[in-house]
Amino acid sequence: MNLLRSPEDARDVYQEAFLRVYKNLDTFRFDCSFHTWLYRIVTNICLDHLRKRKVRKEESAIVETGDGPLDRMDSFEEEAPHADPERSAWNKQLKARIDGALGGLTPRERMVFELRHYQGMRLRSIGEALGTTEEAAKNCLFRATQKMRSVLGDFV
Amino acid sequence: MNCDGVVKLIPLYFYGELPPEEEERVEQHLHACAACTAEMERQRRLAAALDGMQADVPPLFLEDCRAALMAAIAEPRKGPWASFLEAAAAALAGLRRFQQPVGAVALVALGFFAARFTGINPAAVSAGEVYPVVRSIEPDNAGRVRIAFDETRRREVSGSMDDQAIQRLLLAAATENNPAMRVESVGLLKERAGSSEVRDALLNALLHDSNAGVRMKALEGLKPLAADPEVRKSLAGALVSDDNPAVRMQAVDLLVTRRDDAMVGVLQGLVQRENNDYVRLKCEQALKDWNASVGTF
Repeated sequence: MNLLRSPEDARDVYQEAFLRVYKNLDTFRFDCSFHTWLYRIVTNICLDHLRKRKVRKEESAIVETGDGPLDRMDSFEEEAPHADPERSAWNKQLKARIDGALGGLTPRERMVFELRHYQGMRLRSIGEALGTTEEAAKNCLFRATQKMRSVLGDFV
Repeated sequence: MNCDGVVKLIPLYFYGELPPEEEERVEQHLHACAACTAEMERQRRLAAALDGMQADVPPLFLEDCRAALMAAIAEPRKGPWASFLEAAAAALAGLRRFQQPVGAVALVALGFFAARFTGINPAAVSAGEVYPVVRSIEPDNAGRVRIAFDETRRREVSGSMDDQAIQRLLLAAATENNPAMRVESVGLLKERAGSSEVRDALLNALLHDSNAGVRMKALEGLKPLAADPEVRKSLAGALVSDDNPAVRMQAVDLLVTRRDDAMVGVLQGLVQRENNDYVRLKCEQALKDWNASVGTF
C-alpha cells in the first residue's frame, strides 16, 4: 500500500495477484523460490498499476469530493495532532515534497526504491523479481535517490 | 578513489549493497573527506525523512482484502438459491435475537422443505446443463446409428467446511485430473486433517500426486499429525523418493521434530546420498541430537 498509496489499488493488486497465482500455479516449476515467483507476479501487477496511473496522471492520489480535494492517504496516516504548529506545517510541506519526489520517479525506479528502502529486499532479489539484473537495479536505485534528493533540496 | 566516484556510490553504500572491498574504500575516503561525509549525512537525512512518511496500513486492512477477495470469488457463481438462502439466513438471524425458539423452528422447517425440494444437503444451488461423453458409435446397414454416452451434469453446492457432503466433494476433487483443483481441494482439506478420511487423502496426495504444489499442501496439512506413525512412514517415503527438493525439505523438517529410533536408518541413508544440502544437514543434525552415528558401517 505504501507503493501505490491508495487502499483501493492495493486491494485490486491483492486480488489480481491471487488470481494470477491461482491460474499459473501449475506452471511453477521450482526453478526459482516460490517467494521470488510470487514477488515477480506482484511487482509486475504493481508496475502495471503505476504505469496506468502515470497515463491517467493520478499520481497525487488526490480525489475530488463534495468537500473539495482529498488525499486518500491522509485517512491512513492519522498522525496525532502536533503540539507544535510550526513543526506540523513543516511536516505537511515535507510530505507534499516527498509525494512530489516519489511521483517524479518512473514506475520502475519507484518499484526498486520501494522494495529496497521500505521492504528491505536486496538489489539482487529485486533484479530477479523484476526480471532484470542486479546492475540494472543498482542503476535504478541510484537514479531514484538522485532525483529525490534534487526535488527535496533544502528539506534534507 | 576520488570524490565524484564516492558520491555515486553513497546510495549503494548506505543500503549495504557494495562488495566488501569497495565498501572499505568508500569508508576510508569518508574518513578523510568532509565534503563526502556531508553527502553521506544528506543521504541519511533523506532516508529518515522517507521513513517518517511510510504509509500506516490499518490493522484490519489484510482481513479486508481477504474478505473482498472471497466476495469477488463467490459473486459470479452466486445463483438464485444462494441469494435466497443468504437472505433467509440473515432474516432468521435477526429473528433469533428476539425469539430464539421461533427462529430455531423456522430453521428446521426451512431445512425440511429444502431437503424435500432439492434432495441434497447442503444447499443445492443450481442444476446446470448436461454434458454428454460419447462412449461408442455403431452405425447399422439401415442408415441408422446407435450411440452410447454418459451424461455429466454440472451442479453447484455451497456449505461450510464442516459439512460432510462438502468434504466428500473435496475428497473427490483431490484426485481430479486438473492440478489446480487438486491444489485447491487439498489446500482446504488440510485444515481438517483430524478426520481419518482426510488424513488418508493427504497421505495419498503426498505420496502419489504428480504435482509438487499439491504435495506441499498435503505436507502442510499433515504438520499437526507429525507424531502419527503412519504419517511418519509416509513422510519418510516422501523424504526418500520425492524428486522435488522443496518437498523433501518440508518432509525432513516434520520428521526431525521428535526423536524416532525407527527413522535412524532412513536418515543415515540420506546423509550418504541426498544431494540437497539443507536436507542432508538436517539429517546429520537430527542424528547427532539423537546420539546416533551419522554414517553407516
